[in-house]
Amino acid sequence: MLELDGITTRYGELTAVDNVSLRVETGELFCLLGPSGCGKSTILRTVAGFETPAAGRVSIGGTDVTDRPPHERDCSIVFQDWALFPDKSVLANVAFGLKMQGVGKTERRERARERLELVEIAEYADAAPAALSGGQKQRVALARSLTVDPDLLLLDEPLSNLDRRLRETMQLELTDIHDRLETTMVYVTHDQNEAFTLADRMGVMNDGRLVQVGEPATVYDDPRNRFVESFLGSTNFLSCRVAGAGDRPMLETPLGVRFRAPIDGADLAVDESVVVSLRPERLTVEHPTTGSRSEPTAVEDGGADTVTVTGTVTETIHRGSDVRIRLSVGDADLFVEEPVATGLTVAAGDRLALRWSPGEAVYFDTAGERCR
Amino acid sequence: MSTRDGWIRAPTLPARWRSALLLVPLLVLDVGVFLVPMGYLLRLSFTAQTPDGAFVEGSWATDGYQYVFETGLVHDVFGFTLGFGVLVTALSVAIGTAYAYAAWQATGWTKTVLLSGAVLSLFTTMVVKLFAVVLVFSPRGVVNDLLTGLGVVAEPLLLIDNLTGAVLAQLYIVVPYAILSVYAVLSTLDRGLVEAALDLGATRQRAAREVVLPHARPGIAVAGVVSFTWSVGAYAGPLLLGSGSEQTTGVLISRLLLTRFDWPAAAALSVVTIVVVFAVLLAALWRLGGDGGLLDA
Repeated sequence: MLELDGITTRYGELTAVDNVSLRVETGELFCLLGPSGCGKSTILRTVAGFETPAAGRVSIGGTDVTDRPPHERDCSIVFQDWALFPDKSVLANVAFGLKMQGVGKTERRERARERLELVEIAEYADAAPAALSGGQKQRVALARSLTVDPDLLLLDEPLSNLDRRLRETMQLELTDIHDRLETTMVYVTHDQNEAFTLADRMGVMNDGRLVQVGEPATVYDDPRNRFVESFLGSTNFLSCRVAGAGDRPMLETPLGVRFRAPIDGADLAVDESVVVSLRPERLTVEHPTTGSRSEPTAVEDGGADTVTVTGTVTETIHRGSDVRIRLSVGDADLFVEEPVATGLTVAAGDRLALRWSPGEAVYFDTAGERCR
Repeated sequence: MSTRDGWIRAPTLPARWRSALLLVPLLVLDVGVFLVPMGYLLRLSFTAQTPDGAFVEGSWATDGYQYVFETGLVHDVFGFTLGFGVLVTALSVAIGTAYAYAAWQATGWTKTVLLSGAVLSLFTTMVVKLFAVVLVFSPRGVVNDLLTGLGVVAEPLLLIDNLTGAVLAQLYIVVPYAILSVYAVLSTLDRGLVEAALDLGATRQRAAREVVLPHARPGIAVAGVVSFTWSVGAYAGPLLLGSGSEQTTGVLISRLLLTRFDWPAAAALSVVTIVVVFAVLLAALWRLGGDGGLLDA
């Protein structure tokens, strides 16, 4: 449905989007995820026709639209600040696209009303946009874009101005609308949870480049580089020294243990450093049994075996459904998140045993690229 | 509040008196330079005429109004003045809106040049500006030299010392104000709204009509009010660049005052002009305010 081929967009000297190629399939809900200023909104504006790419082609539904003005592209954008016409009623806002297409007054009002019903805001049809709350404005903006039945719906952080509860409700409604209308959607967000909730597939962007594209679970479990790993949720990064090179290199951690990492160490030299990412959910904690109290254990085998270390709790933070426990282990600090329901009671100063399987950690070289 | 550090506290007034006190300078100004002279003008318009002076002191008469309402010349002058005002206002609002829209759309240098063009012309006095109009539009002026030089016209066009000249002169005076009042409102328009209109299938022209113009309406109204008020009160423009038959009420009033020494008639004509201008403006504002609600789908 949407095909970007080597898109580069510049603002003066600044390259906002750098050689991005991307395919979005018909009916897909695709999320572009990245930090502020990474170029994700610029991509959307380039697709909509508000920015002219310095290089590359944009095609929508198989038609090359690179040189076409916005009004000749079969897509519609839902803006972050909604951009509702303040001098027009809600109904007139929603009917605007049809008015531009030359649809008669009775028909366009009828169709606009249908869309308002779809987003459950029909009772405000005659109100002025200024009289609506943020969530209601968002619904109107969505209805306004949907009324022109675009082949492609672009959403530029449409929910970021709403409070968390409303945002979650709108996310569910949006997926519901997507399922019903089967419109292809490209959704830009900086919120990874939003991307996980909505996306069929997602693309992670950093610094104007598209870093990784895939299904959310795949991208999360199999990040291409350290940026993706750090952006998609919180994790513990441990800087380790390579103590023995070769296949399954021996890593010396600042935790006081060594273990064999299940990666190809052909490009690694002794004394080089490797960053290990330990997701908090991959770490198991328990009160240490009397036998393992003494010293951290090192595991020579990196396979299905596990590494166990013992640390001292420095801080516990209750976060509602889970508790974040910070531990000091050797020369490093780690954190884990335990569901409150597990009933583990800890206080600062307690000793805890931490366990993980080297196969579940991910490894990055000094350049931030993944070691496999 | 307490007295501290030896400060002597001013006698405290109730809060609403204190805020009323702030209005005093404004009231003094209003009364001194507007209400008192207006009252004096009104009183003057009801004095009796006399052949050997300006007016009869302390007399009461309606001679002035009789002259205004019964003289054919005054009717003609009035008709011309209103027509002149409407013509100049229409042109000024059209030019001002188009210019302001262009300045709003422009970026960088073009924008600076366009805006300073409008502002700089306000720095010169009216007389200098009007003689500039003479230089530009006279038969041997810049415009005619250009037109004949390019062969667009064979003979120089007569652009001054006639109605065209009077209108051009008046436009020189009012257009900068029209531009600035429209631009001031346009600059508050969120460009995202224009993008939204384009996105929903509007062409640039359509977006201007559907989004930009409705937003600019208050500015256009102000441009209209300023242009109309000033054009109906036009004096120097028609006098310097008209042929002499372009008489506005201002020109007639000065003749009544200075050559015929008929002060009651001059005062009466002034009062009637002011009333008419107010009536027209009120009607126009009422009309504009009437459909200022939400536009239809």
